[in-house]
Amino acid sequence: MAMIKAGRAQTRPTAAKWVKVGSSVRRRRIERRLLLMLTLLAAIIWIFPLYWALVTSLRSEDHVVSDNAGLLPDMFNLAAYQDALFNSNLLTWYVNSIGTSLIITVLVLISGMMCAYALSQMRFPGRRTLYGVVLASFMIPSQALVVTQFVLMSDMGLVNSWAGIILPQLIVPVVIIVYKQFFDAVPSEMREAVLLDGGNEYTLLFKIYLPLNWGITSALAIITFIMAWNQFFWPFLVTTSESMMTIPVGITQVRDTFGVNYARVMAVALLGAAPVAIAYLLFQKKVTEAVMISSGVKG
Amino acid sequence: MTGVTLSDVEKSFGETTIIDHVSLEIDHGDFAVFVGPSGCGKSTLLRMIAGLEETSGGTIEIEGRDVTEVEPAHREVAMVFQSYALYPHLSVFDNMAFSLRLARVPKTQIKAQVEEAARILKLGKELHKKPSQLSGGQRQRVAIGRAIVRKPKVFLFDEPLSNLDAELRVQMRLELSRLHRQLGSTMIYVTHDQVEAMTLADKIFVLRDGVVQQSGTPLALYDDPDNRFVAGFIGSPAMNFLDATVVEVTPTGIVATIGEGSEQTLAAGLDTATLGKGDAVTLGVRPEHLQFRAVADVEVAGESRRDVGVRTRVEMTENLGGVAYLYTRMEDGQEVVIERRGERQTQRQESITFTADAGHVLVFDQQGQRLR
Repeated sequence: MAMIKAGRAQTRPTAAKWVKVGSSVRRRRIERRLLLMLTLLAAIIWIFPLYWALVTSLRSEDHVVSDNAGLLPDMFNLAAYQDALFNSNLLTWYVNSIGTSLIITVLVLISGMMCAYALSQMRFPGRRTLYGVVLASFMIPSQALVVTQFVLMSDMGLVNSWAGIILPQLIVPVVIIVYKQFFDAVPSEMREAVLLDGGNEYTLLFKIYLPLNWGITSALAIITFIMAWNQFFWPFLVTTSESMMTIPVGITQVRDTFGVNYARVMAVALLGAAPVAIAYLLFQKKVTEAVMISSGVKG
Repeated sequence: MTGVTLSDVEKSFGETTIIDHVSLEIDHGDFAVFVGPSGCGKSTLLRMIAGLEETSGGTIEIEGRDVTEVEPAHREVAMVFQSYALYPHLSVFDNMAFSLRLARVPKTQIKAQVEEAARILKLGKELHKKPSQLSGGQRQRVAIGRAIVRKPKVFLFDEPLSNLDAELRVQMRLELSRLHRQLGSTMIYVTHDQVEAMTLADKIFVLRDGVVQQSGTPLALYDDPDNRFVAGFIGSPAMNFLDATVVEVTPTGIVATIGEGSEQTLAAGLDTATLGKGDAVTLGVRPEHLQFRAVADVEVAGESRRDVGVRTRVEMTENLGGVAYLYTRMEDGQEVVIERRGERQTQRQESITFTADAGHVLVFDQQGQRLR
């Protein structure tokens, strides 16, 4: 009888055990809900400035500065956008931003991949030292170079020009480092096969190494473009004429005789951010990959 | 006409010598195999012929032309790599056409040459596929096809079968042999597998520590090795090596005792009498040349010391069906492998004696050099 009783005790959980299991499930449910609430809170805090900018841009200027302006959208007034598009240099700033960002992206990628290829695949004296210099340049903040760069651009007569905006922004060590990492991973036998087939270094780079790494190229192109588009400090310093400014700099110029028009400023800011936001929505996966790649390098 | 000639070729990295003054000749149309253990320099030698490694000295000639300072692409050689080195983003057709496109060969000619190579290698249905869609054997054939289309003077193979499974390796070996007969080109093949060397080669070059130990036909190396290293490297299972002491010198050879203070002897044939009584030697004899009997069957009384043979105890038997290998150990600890054909009786822990014909017993001096 004792044996049977013992057998039954082993096969059927006790009430205490059921309570233990139940409380564990409940605890996990509570943890999940807490986590969801925290995430929602973080998301609200993060997105609130964008929301506020949108709401502000759709209000009249009087309403923006009045005491009655609440958190919820209460107007749908496109006057600020009309003003931004037709009474400011927004379109010129768009052209400047698109032009300089595209040129920077293309030149950074081309110079970055060629530098990375040389560091990865070619053997020459000082190669390691050169790579060390590239890595060390991470430690120098760009702000420490602005005075020298401004003097250079000024001496070369490039202030208030696309060249003046573009040239100092061509130094992007992360592109070199990421490309080098991926080029290092290509098997050396593939390189030897190309050399035996009659190829040279250009064949290797443009017909083998790059095609094998198109994903990396598109990811780097995206982050480089976004970085160039969002760049404020250097374009702000090197452009004094409104006709040469890019959008981030142009936004600071949106004012009239009576001071800052907040609705119009917000409209300009949102219109300025729109292309990058649309690009992100279209290429979300690539952007995420690009950020992960660059973070991996920096980390 | 010679296919490839190396004259006093050497390769050093700082103070480390990888290839030590190697001179060799490979006839046009021959299938030559460089074989040796890992790190012996066989791949380095092959890469120097390809132009992928610079020489530290000496000259390399391909069909009479000095190519020592010539770029790899202009040496008229083609190489098949161990990892195939196929371009993964290109189709089979594009992989094989790559070198022809770089040489600006007309499109129609490219198509014809690629399709011809594909036909030879039975890759006709795979031309549109990417390498990732192919099996290991198919990838290997694409790598060979990429070499064939270039119509090189010399084909170079760097351990091309080592990534394949055993069955596929046997199949590909046959295909390579067939290809060689079909194309008639000079081929140089690097492997660490002496079975591949024996089955494929017209001429084998055995390397060790950057030095060619011996070269010759497979059977010449098998039957008549110059030193202990070659004797032990060629042949599977390896040759047995027994420490022995000369007890008698005859006009046709020597008689030596195996093990210390032992009465067990083996006779070995020698053309020249360079040894004296009491000299220490190493006797080499292949497993298939040993005859054995159970000790219980030996009639000691009335038999000369020479006829009794050497006593040993069977530790393990490896049965492979038609042939078995007895792994034995003598009283003094020396291990002997004996081949047995036909009979399938297990002989674990049984004491046996073995003998061998004097003509099959090779003699090596203390430095490992063969005495003839």
